Amino acid sequence: MNRIKKFVSKLLKDLFNEQDKKELIEILTTSLQEKVDDLVEAGTPIDVAIDQSIKEFGNAKDVLEAFPEKQNKKDQLHRRKNQVLYSLFGYLAIVGIALYVNLQFSSDILWFIIIAIGTLFWPASMFYMYNITKK
Amino acid sequence: MINSDVIRGHIDTIIIKLLLDKDMYGYEIAGEIKSRTQNKFDIKEATLYSVVQRLEQRELISSYTGEKTHGGKRRYYRVTPLGRAYYKETLNEWKLLREIMRAMLGDDVE
Repeated sequence: MNRIKKFVSKLLKDLFNEQDKKELIEILTTSLQEKVDDLVEAGTPIDVAIDQSIKEFGNAKDVLEAFPEKQNKKDQLHRRKNQVLYSLFGYLAIVGIALYVNLQFSSDILWFIIIAIGTLFWPASMFYMYNITKK
Repeated sequence: MINSDVIRGHIDTIIIKLLLDKDMYGYEIAGEIKSRTQNKFDIKEATLYSVVQRLEQRELISSYTGEKTHGGKRRYYRVTPLGRAYYKETLNEWKLLREIMRAMLGDDVE
């Protein structure tokens, strides 16, 4: 039972809120255990029965198929995460170039700071959108 | 072999129908689907049991603990009155869909 529960808990690690996850872990674990029991009753050694049940069970994507709305949310979250990374990379590139030009041609005034602050809205807004989607 | 993408919208109805025929536990439902469709419908157990949990959350089915042959316990599922009403409704939708497909595809569906 422990091995099965560990497998199911690991499978659902990044999915659902705590209450939903708890219920789903219980049902999936019970159903898998019932399969193991049936296989053992039919003469399969217990370790083989557990391995077979886990192997045939499916993955996190299969679980999400039962919850299309959560699947959509996961896809959206993935997109938002990519947007955050892209904006962060873009921001660092812009600030980097500004810093280089600033130090190279007019190092007496550090005007690149204005660009660094001005363009900060980009990753900040992406991060804000990511957080809203996550919640 | 048909995968669950094609039949996804009907999994709820299929499970409720099976449970209307007889109370079953999770793995029994999986076995029944395989046996009735002669392995032509490939639904992963991860999906099936998750749908069962969703149906229970929506109070279309309920569960109770039953005995099994060798003294252990099993979690059996049965259809609630709400589930019966839902089944009737989706069955009517399915009949309508069948009529539409027959009207569109004619004898090709036979």
